[in-house]
Amino acid sequence: MKGVRIAAVSAVCVLAAVWLCVAVYSSLTLPPTYDGSSVNVLDLYRDPENTDLSDPDGAAAVIVQENLSRTGAANNVASVVFDFRGFDTLGESFILLTAIAGTYVILSRKKKKDEKKEDASDEV
Amino acid sequence: MKFKNGITERNVIVKCGADHYLPFALVFGFYVILFGTVSPGGGFQGGVIVASAVLLLYLGYGFQTAGSALRSEVLRVGESAGAVIYVILGLLGILLGARFCQNVFFDNGAVGDLVSAGTVTFMSWAVGFKVLTGVGFLLLLLLGLLAADPDEEAEGS
Repeated sequence: MKGVRIAAVSAVCVLAAVWLCVAVYSSLTLPPTYDGSSVNVLDLYRDPENTDLSDPDGAAAVIVQENLSRTGAANNVASVVFDFRGFDTLGESFILLTAIAGTYVILSRKKKKDEKKEDASDEV
Repeated sequence: MKFKNGITERNVIVKCGADHYLPFALVFGFYVILFGTVSPGGGFQGGVIVASAVLLLYLGYGFQTAGSALRSEVLRVGESAGAVIYVILGLLGILLGARFCQNVFFDNGAVGDLVSAGTVTFMSWAVGFKVLTGVGFLLLLLLGLLAADPDEEAEGS
């Protein structure tokens, strides 16, 4: 009964917090973020002269354009991860390899210990 | 659910859930890996999504089935193979007169195609293969430890 009461109270608190956040953020007028969403990437790639490069959206457009002319990848993040910072990705994947090797070593040692224990108990 | 005579019966709801979500997890994970260069996503994320299929198998069918359906030695070798493929693709840049990991041929296909970004695409696939085999192997190791514990307790008592 106590658990049910605690769960109900916490659920009400969470709902109130969510409602408060929604109310506050819907009443705010946030400044626009410059995400380059108004730039047509394919148009920009084919005909760069048509795009206005002076406003901040234009800066995002320049990044997209340079990236397309250097790597040809439509996803900027992929081109950064695998081309411009490919060595970094190599190190990250070796970290994963090392972690798995360490886990394998520790767990296989534990298995060996268990087998030794079983052997000892058999001898006794 | 575990009975006193040692027979383990899986919950039928969990089993049906694993049955129904396993194909979706695999398809979505491989989609994220394959289209890593033209859409949000990439090798790491897609590999982890595919490796979650191991968890679904374990939840639905237990460790015995998951361990016999997936050969952990093949997964272990596959991870190293993925790393080697990645290094070879990275060295392609040096061999063709540029820096390490530079995209040396990217004029194969229009922007937005599946194979359109040269080595970036293939390196993304290599990393995805490496992560899905590596994380799958890791999950199998940890689940094996989890499955070994109740037996020890039974032996001790």
